[in-house]
Amino acid sequence: MNLSDMRTYANDEIVDVVVVGTGAGGAPLLARLAERGLKVIALEAGPNLDPDDFTNDEVEAPRINWMSERLSGGEAPTAFGPNNSGWGVGGGTLHWGAFTPRPDIRDLRLQSETGVGADWPIDHAELIRYIVDVERTIGVSGPSSYPWDTEREYLEPPVDRNAPADLMALGCSRLGIRATDAPAAILSRSRDQAHHGRRLASQNLGSIHQGERYGTKATTALTYLPAAVAAGAEIRADAMVHGIERDELGRVTGVVYRQNGIEKRQRCATLVLAGGGIETPRLLLNTGIGNSSGLVGRNFLAHGAVQVWGRFDEQIRGYRGYPSALISEDFVRPEGVTFAGGYLLQSLGVMPLTYATTLVRGGGLWGSELLDALDSYRHMAGIGINGECLPAEGNRLVLSDETDEWGVPRAVVTFTPGPNEQAIDEHATATMTRILEAAGARDTQVFARTAHTLGTCRMSDDPAAGVVDGDGRSHDVPNLWICDNSTFPSALTANPGLAQMALSLRTADRMLR
Amino acid sequence: MTGTIFFLPGLGLGAEAAAPLAAALGDRFRVVGIDLPGQGEAPDAADGSVGALAGAALEAIEAESDGGPWLLVAHSMGGKVAALVISRVLGGQANVFGLAGAVLLAPSPPTPEPMDDGKRAQMLSWADDGPLSEADARAFVDQNVAAPLGDSDQRNAVGLVRRTSALSWRRWLSEGSREDVSATVGTIDLPVVVLAGEEDVDLGASAQPGLLGRVYPRARFVSLPDTVHLLPYERAREVAAAVVELWESTVSVSPAVPPHWGRVVASDRTPVEARALLARRAIADDVHYEPRALSAAQLTTLGALADRVVPQPEGRRIDLAARVDAELASGSGDGWRPAGLPDDASAYRLGLDALAAVWPAGEAEQNALVARIVDGESIEGAPWSDDLLRLWFEDARNDLVRNWLAHPASLARVGYDGFATSGPGAGPAGYVELAAGTRDPWEPDDLGALASGHDDPKTDTDPGALTGRENTA
Ligand SMILES: Cc1cc2nc3c(=O)[nH]c(=O)nc-3n(C[C@H](O)[C@H](O)[C@H](O)COP(=O)(O)OP(=O)(O)OC[C@H]3O[C@@H](n4cnc5c(N)ncnc54)[C@H](O)[C@@H]3O)c2cc1C
Repeated sequence: MNLSDMRTYANDEIVDVVVVGTGAGGAPLLARLAERGLKVIALEAGPNLDPDDFTNDEVEAPRINWMSERLSGGEAPTAFGPNNSGWGVGGGTLHWGAFTPRPDIRDLRLQSETGVGADWPIDHAELIRYIVDVERTIGVSGPSSYPWDTEREYLEPPVDRNAPADLMALGCSRLGIRATDAPAAILSRSRDQAHHGRRLASQNLGSIHQGERYGTKATTALTYLPAAVAAGAEIRADAMVHGIERDELGRVTGVVYRQNGIEKRQRCATLVLAGGGIETPRLLLNTGIGNSSGLVGRNFLAHGAVQVWGRFDEQIRGYRGYPSALISEDFVRPEGVTFAGGYLLQSLGVMPLTYATTLVRGGGLWGSELLDALDSYRHMAGIGINGECLPAEGNRLVLSDETDEWGVPRAVVTFTPGPNEQAIDEHATATMTRILEAAGARDTQVFARTAHTLGTCRMSDDPAAGVVDGDGRSHDVPNLWICDNSTFPSALTANPGLAQMALSLRTADRMLR
Repeated sequence: MTGTIFFLPGLGLGAEAAAPLAAALGDRFRVVGIDLPGQGEAPDAADGSVGALAGAALEAIEAESDGGPWLLVAHSMGGKVAALVISRVLGGQANVFGLAGAVLLAPSPPTPEPMDDGKRAQMLSWADDGPLSEADARAFVDQNVAAPLGDSDQRNAVGLVRRTSALSWRRWLSEGSREDVSATVGTIDLPVVVLAGEEDVDLGASAQPGLLGRVYPRARFVSLPDTVHLLPYERAREVAAAVVELWESTVSVSPAVPPHWGRVVASDRTPVEARALLARRAIADDVHYEPRALSAAQLTTLGALADRVVPQPEGRRIDLAARVDAELASGSGDGWRPAGLPDDASAYRLGLDALAAVWPAGEAEQNALVARIVDGESIEGAPWSDDLLRLWFEDARNDLVRNWLAHPASLARVGYDGFATSGPGAGPAGYVELAAGTRDPWEPDDLGALASGHDDPKTDTDPGALTGRENTA
């Protein structure tokens, strides 16, 4: 994005707020604080990118992903890299799928409802008010009437359905499952975005996870960040924060970061960490800050993301079009089940190398079976879930004794799905298989997967039960806030991006109080 | 499939100088001779730079290429032009696809061409008052051959020299030959054969390895006895043999990209970077590849494993082991690794050594071993627990198949043309037809049926689709 004319601050100036990270958690807050006249700086470890830096080549695309190695353990080791958190001005919104369901009220009360998991210390109606604000700002397309929430209104008509969406719709209608056009932060009509300029309507690109050149997909680099810069915020790219400085009372006084090989310090009155579900707890564990609860790195959550793919006679070529153009919320609370929570369904198209990796990692394929499966690629339509995940004792992030290129210990993330996750997976697999078969699939294949990195600095009313309070403020350090996916107390069946942006605006408002 | 040979002539010659080569090659190849600016019918370039010559050469190649594989044959001055042409093609900056290699004939190097001052002065003087005289043209041809050419070759060569514009002649001698384009050209990782005469003074067989070895690390140098400089005439048969041999050791042993797919890669729908990546991945692997991250033995084991994990037909293969080794050496990685495994390259070394110790001879036994590791069974002498071995093996399988699939022939085989989105001429950038069984008009025709009335804007009932799409061109 264009940063050439932005306001800049000196390193020894005590700015009001430093925000670490420019993704879904960092950017909306940066804009709101700047618009209210605060002196704010965002430090972003990754580069500042131009639209042409996004490539449709899958091998090269990880330049927008956090590629510094993380170590994964447990029975379902999390695949980081392209499948995970962001890198660059815009953070995870550069590569996100822009699938934007709203959180369901029942998911925010998971503990009260089911006795397991955790409740959110946040009022659902208030969160939805922020979500509506975000949807308007970033541009969210959706159906004219939403079957699971008749009050809801989308300001933009839905994007085109691709072949996997058509087939999922067919299968669902034959089974009496409700499904509709997915809410998506993809423009179906071009618009002029304040402080950015022209954003084009959807180009039906299936490669949006690799970044997108036309502004059809909402990223913070097209929306909140230009607004922030226009209001006087400074964004420093290639600036990796690895230290936090404090006074004798324990209050944050500044951050230490490395930019282009040079060690720098920035003084600030307040610090917001928005580095995502892995980097924020890694920084806190490494600096030993904000962890009187002992919960930093604990309660790591990963959404269930099992996929079922069906082979059809016709060429599907689901790499065309918005990849997840159809949604069903019929299984947010499925009937007659013993597990807590539920899942969302989305239709799936996929890029070829990603599919190959899924065949290898999720399907265990090799040899002629692998090549046969790749030869069927063009005939495949998929459905996937975003499923609830309960916290478990063993699922956590700790520091390894190996350091990264900035001298910070690497994160070791351990994840093993528990019985609840397995039960959701099984239920969802059966549902998706039925839908694909009803749509005429010849045969189906199941691929194990998880997605997203949540919960490692969870919010709680009780200081003993979390790292930050419901506003995002550290229970330990009054001028330290966290605003990213690490604060999620439970995973939600809705994908986390939209809710994260809403939480970001909300935290900003709480900081301004 | 007939292949295409593009021919870039030396100073004073022209497209017609490709005729002896074409005759020697016969029907198997389409030989396209190109007049560089100032030669034959071609007007002079805007300036005397090598870049201007390369630009004109590329325009001709773009106009004549058919999306299928091709080789570049370039002589003398054309050789310097070829270096820029190749670097632009492999950089994706031309609307072509399919470059498989080059045969360079007494080529002028990307660095300033070594040339005796007296000779330069003499040659310049020939063009002082316009195109060369019959006598000067004859003198030029005679100086550059070891034995007199046959009558018709002699007539043709002299005729071409005389048709060369004086301006282009002088420019080459005073500007182009002296220009240093080596920084732009850099190192070119392409199969190349360099032929040169033993009797040639400045651009002869003994000089060429020093002039070009670093530019073309994969070059094979061939020295021709009793030969001076006019190889297209003096040694057409040897040149033809080199072309055939290069073709058979590259195009014939590589997975084929169908020409209509090649044309889509070449088109403006495909962004420059993607075109460059596909062009490079399509190049045949070096049979003499020296591993950079693994040992030779480990590379062999990885190759054997690749044959089981991603079986390829005999005859047309990608050297997946070499490509994975190059990736390991570059340290690119995929952003994570199983806790307990060392860094990627070290894990490969340990894993492959353990695998080599138990690798059986027969294909069936090898498959059984692979199946056991995939299922999480241990192998004797494994460096890690069963689970870690399985996870390393998963990484290796994934790296191998991704390298296979990233090749444009594999992408064509699985029916993926998404590289042709987001290019400067893609309007819209992506797809219009999304339904099963259909395709857009620009897509390869094996990808589905055209919707009727395909050139109309999409007649969807969805108002968003109608009003929302814009042309981005
Ligand atoms: C493949 C994929 C697809 C997704 N699709 C969807 C979707 O369709 N819908 C949806 O709702 N969600 C989706 N998500 C999730 C969504 O992207 C995340 O929920 C969201 O981006 C999280 O926001 P965040 O602020 O926590 O972290 P991020 O957006 O990842 O931002 C963190 C930023 O902080 C920077 N940073 C980290 N540490 C430091 C440091 N120490 N110093 C400086 N900078 C630092 C990082 O470089 C990064 O830019 C997807 C995620 C993935 C991986």
